[in-house]
This record gives sequence, structure tokens and C-alpha cells, in this order.
Amino acid sequence: MSPELERFPRNILVCERSNFLNEKSRHGIHVSKHYFNYKVSIFIPECGILPAGLSSVIKSFNSYFLVQKLPVYKLIEEVFLDEVVKKGGFYALSHKTRIDEDNTIAFLPSGQMILSLDKDTYEQLGLEGKPSLYNHRNARRYVVTVDFTDKSMTVGGKRYQRVLLGLKERVPLTCDFLLSRYSTGTDEDGALQGLLSQYSFEVIRPAQYSQTLRIVPCPTLHPSDLQGKAGSCDPHQFLEWLGSVNMGIRCDNSASDFLSTYVCPEPQDSMSQALLYTITGFLIPEDIQSLLQELQRYFDEPKFSPWLSLTVHGFVDSPVSWGTMEHGFLSSGENFYNFVCFKNQDYWLHMATGALDGCPP
Amino acid sequence: MEEPATFERHVYKNASVYHYMKMSLILEDESKRLIAAEFKQLIVSGLRDLYGEIGAAIPFDLLTFDESTKTAILRVYNSGLVKLWSAITLIGSCQNELCAVRVTQVSPFLLALCGNSRETELD
Repeated sequence: MSPELERFPRNILVCERSNFLNEKSRHGIHVSKHYFNYKVSIFIPECGILPAGLSSVIKSFNSYFLVQKLPVYKLIEEVFLDEVVKKGGFYALSHKTRIDEDNTIAFLPSGQMILSLDKDTYEQLGLEGKPSLYNHRNARRYVVTVDFTDKSMTVGGKRYQRVLLGLKERVPLTCDFLLSRYSTGTDEDGALQGLLSQYSFEVIRPAQYSQTLRIVPCPTLHPSDLQGKAGSCDPHQFLEWLGSVNMGIRCDNSASDFLSTYVCPEPQDSMSQALLYTITGFLIPEDIQSLLQELQRYFDEPKFSPWLSLTVHGFVDSPVSWGTMEHGFLSSGENFYNFVCFKNQDYWLHMATGALDGCPP
Repeated sequence: MEEPATFERHVYKNASVYHYMKMSLILEDESKRLIAAEFKQLIVSGLRDLYGEIGAAIPFDLLTFDESTKTAILRVYNSGLVKLWSAITLIGSCQNELCAVRVTQVSPFLLALCGNSRETELD
């Protein structure tokens, strides 16, 4: 058969190992730069119910807004720009827009706006952008990045007026938006509430789902053996196993079974029970950061489990994955990371992206 | 207790051995029941039709099959992905009834299949 039939799309997995107490540890940066998070899963071996500390952190997760038919230019009008976008901590992502079919818009907490546009919209809009990195032969998609914190983008200036005019008159882009804002405790949300009051919107709490698993075979992990060269399983095998646990896939098969030959990687232990807790919604990195800090404290008291894990999935249709790194869908749109936290505050961090994405930071 | 870890970083490019496919079977008669073994046999037949006996021998695993929604997750070696996907695309009948298999997600990471924001309604 032709060798062409054996080709497959590119994928990247970055694995890091360090210690939370290490001053130069970059775990916080990786979490804070992964802006648009859709699902968080916590897996704690030998645990039946969610510890109180974790429960209260999850309860304190920010609610988010789903706004219907919001014109994009409303988010860059003077008052909103000065009082919300430029102050930081503001996240917005167009909802139910597909990155491979539709125009997709995102506002990053760094004060940048990213427009991922099809060719027609891009040409009508007349703003400066770049062809998408993942165009096939002819450019069909363009990415426009506008940094509102840049000096040349001051309100009232020529460049600002051009962007506002483009989105208000030339191409009045309108779509549903997910909005969230990291609240610092002070009353700064006047402009946001003012905007929301003009449109139909919902305030949504992140959805939670808890599951206690019984008698789970699990691979034996050694904190020093990230690559699986000294007896642990390799990172791909571990992530496969974690995926099987998340989706309730049986791993008690044998090599001769007709349906599936999947088995838990060796060497393995058996857990009497394990907690799988998932949270879905428009989750901001600040909340995940505080969840991770609480998870680090989990081992302050003696526990049977030597490790636990935290998986964070990004939105598959986000125009960026980490920072301003362009993201596409192709066949899955994966952009996720996974922490394995050990008793001694060591951690493993796995960051994965698919074919239409750069290398994780 | 082990010494605290020093920083270590490894980048794996195309190191995954498998690809995972999420799909659903669409039958003309929606009430028709199908069990996991029949679904796997349907795919093996599709492989045989397109690639002959060698195709029918391509190893793949049916990791899950939900009989109520007729959705499945398959695991296949990278080298068999294109052949399996093409055979699945061309499947047109199941037990003398018109059908189609709709592939919704294909990833080298099984974990990615449980975090698809396109599938869930937030509101």
C-alpha cells in the first residue's frame, strides 16, 4: 500500500518536571497564559469525597456571562475600553463560532483583541492582519491582533478610529459572547454591567460533577521518572490511562479480546477508590491558579495517595492556545495541560497541542 | 523522601503511538439496536471492502460503544489511521439498512476526547 496512507497529523507533547517550591518554577506562567479554559478535571486516588478546602475554592470560582448578539464594537468603545479592557483581567470569547468555519473573536486579559476572520470579512474590514499560519495553499483565513495598551492605539487616535469604524460601520460583526472578569474585590464593574444591561444575557455558574470510582487499576508513578525510563509508564501511556479513567473506559481486557485489547500500563497498583471531579464553563486562569495552590496543600496532612492530577482543557475553538499563539481545529482542536502533583511538592506538567498549533511554551 | 526535582523539560513530536477517533453511527431506522461487537464487525467489513483481507487485519480497538446513542471511541495505530478513517467514511449500509458513520473528533490524545467544548451546552 502507498506510504501516503500511513501519514498522520503532527502533534506535540511537552513534559516538564520541577518543584512547586522552586523559585524559578514556571507552572504559574503556564497556567496564567492559557486564557480560555473550558473544563477542569481533578483526579485524586484513594479519596471518596472532595476535601472541604478544595470545595470552598471551587465554590469561589467566578461566574461568567453569556451575552446574546453582542456587536464587537461595543467592547472597544471608549468607556468600556478604559474601564474594563485596558485594566486587565477581562476575558471574552465568541460563543458557538467555529474556528475553522466562522469569524472568531477573543479579548485577552492583556488588553489585546484577536480576530480570526475568513478572507471576505478580512478584506471588507480593512484592518491590518496576517494570513493564518495554518492556511492550506491559498490564504482563506486571516488573524488581526489589536493591542489596545499600545501607545498608538489611544482612544481618539487615527488607528483606534479606524478599528472602531471598521467594526461599527464597515463590518458590524455581531455574535454571542462568553465574558468573564477577574474580580479584585473593588467595585469596578459599572461599565460591564452597563453594557450587559443593553443586551440579553445570563449569569452562569460553572457546572460541577463528582464521581467516585471503585477499584481502579492505576500505573505506578515515580516522581523522578518523568520519561518512564526507570520503570514508570511513559507520558503518552499515562495520559491515555487518564483519558480512559475520565471516560469510563474498561481496561480489564486481554490481548485476545475481539473488542479491545486496552490494558492499564505496567507496573500498576490498584486503588480501592478514587475521586474524579469535573468543572465546566468559561473558567479563568486566576481560578485555576487558586485551585492548583489548594491542591498543593492537599498533602500537608498524611494521605494514602502518593499523587493527584489536575487536567485543564482549553476551548477547541479559541483563536489562541497559550498567550497569543495561534490555534486551529483540524480534527480535534486539542489544547490541554495536566499537572501531576506529588507528596514532596514535585510536579509533572504535560502540555499538549495538535496539528494546527505551535509548540506549548 | 526523594530530593526535590530540578527542572527538566522534554518535547515529544509525533511520539504518540495511537490515534483515537470519536464517532457516531447514524441509521435510517433510529430505533434499531446494535451491540458493540456488531459495530466492530461493521467496521472490519468496511475495511475488507476497501482494502481487502490485509485491510481487514488492521488492528484497532473499540474502547467504548454506547448502545443508546450509538457513539464509539476507537483506538488505532498511527499507521492505520488513514485507512480506518477512509473505510469508515465509505460505510453505507448496516444489516441491509442505509447508514453513515459521522466522525466527530480525531486526536492523538485520548484525554482530548473528553474535553470537547463543541459538544457541551453551557447555557
